[in-house]
Amino acid sequence: MENKDISQIAFEKIKESGIKPISKNVFNLKRVLFWSLVGFAVLVGAVSFSVTLSILFNNDWYLYNKFGFGFILKSLPYFWVICLLLFTILGEFYYRKTLLGHRHRLMTIIGAYIILTVIIGSILYLFGLGEIIEQSISANVPVYNAVIFDRNGFWSQPEEGLLLGKIIIVDGSLIKIVDADSVIWDINIGSASIDKQAKIGVGKIIKIIGDKKDNTIIFNAEEIYPAGNGINQDCCTVR
Amino acid sequence: MTNHEDCNEKSDSELVKLSLDNSDHFLCLTRRYEDKLLRYIMRISRLDREDAEDILQDVFIKTYYNLNEFNPDLKFSSWIYRIAHNQTISEIRKKSIRPTISLEKEDIDRFEDAFDIVKDIDNSIDRQKIDEALSMLDEKYREVLILRFLDEKDYVEIADILKKPTSTVGNLIARGKILFKKEYEKLK
Repeated sequence: MENKDISQIAFEKIKESGIKPISKNVFNLKRVLFWSLVGFAVLVGAVSFSVTLSILFNNDWYLYNKFGFGFILKSLPYFWVICLLLFTILGEFYYRKTLLGHRHRLMTIIGAYIILTVIIGSILYLFGLGEIIEQSISANVPVYNAVIFDRNGFWSQPEEGLLLGKIIIVDGSLIKIVDADSVIWDINIGSASIDKQAKIGVGKIIKIIGDKKDNTIIFNAEEIYPAGNGINQDCCTVR
Repeated sequence: MTNHEDCNEKSDSELVKLSLDNSDHFLCLTRRYEDKLLRYIMRISRLDREDAEDILQDVFIKTYYNLNEFNPDLKFSSWIYRIAHNQTISEIRKKSIRPTISLEKEDIDRFEDAFDIVKDIDNSIDRQKIDEALSMLDEKYREVLILRFLDEKDYVEIADILKKPTSTVGNLIARGKILFKKEYEKLK
């Protein structure tokens, strides 16, 4: 069989059909898009890492003595860890779509992603952005509060010795706070151990471990902590 | 039409740039790769020469259409081989045929040298055995062995053609060699 001149045939087809190369802008846009998606995945991963750090460092570990390991399991930042894992996978996927992304091993890409997110995430955490972001999401995205551990609810169990509220009056060793249900409590803080970071002042939100006097709204504080992560700053208002 | 001597002095990347300004230069590029790609397409498919030529035509048209996508960080040869590979695999899947190998005498010599195979006096016996042994391999091993030992591509080029990590290519070649030898020994 006679060999065809494939190059010539293809060339003539190109000419006859008026085929033109796709614009370079289309491919440039595609490249920018994939790199942006990689960048976005790293950024979200870093934010997730910083919030995870923030929650872990500010977790109420001291409640382990009172509520055991069950509390620890409940209070871990699963949402942010899942977010971190999800965006690690997405970051790897989008990186593979870049020009030379296929050359590297899965573990190399994931390793690089983790190093980047840990570095950027730690910087964000050190600047306090982890806590700010978490509180902002908690205040503005209602669904977020539905999927995370309900720290407000957990601390609003006076019968169990847990109380959360905003200080409205300070009078020596007696203070008044308003809780999430707008109930005003008299708190005796005379023999309470107060955490270094907790500030006893009007307008401050505090978490109290103590003892409720039967059928009263009087609470004897044993330990006082600042609101910290996961507590809605608009939780407690006088109606 | 461009002069062939002019073409020979130009690199692939230069010809891509020139082709974007004047499509006549594209012919120089396709002529440079026509034989290699046709052999490659036939090697990785069961298609006859005529069908392979049809695929190659499509490969050239696709290459021209996407010419602006070519990035000099990759070798042009890797890029056009990738297009040829994808187009061939897509045709094989469309026609639901099991890919097999089409070997020429030089291919057999290269394979025998690479695998320390004792040559048979009758070349056609070697061809048949190599062909059969390769056909028994998984596609992932077959394609890397063909690119490495028949098209003589290095690991990075194979990685770029198949869009696989370089280390994976190395592992596939090492494992593919062992599996090929096993299959070949069985046919003795």
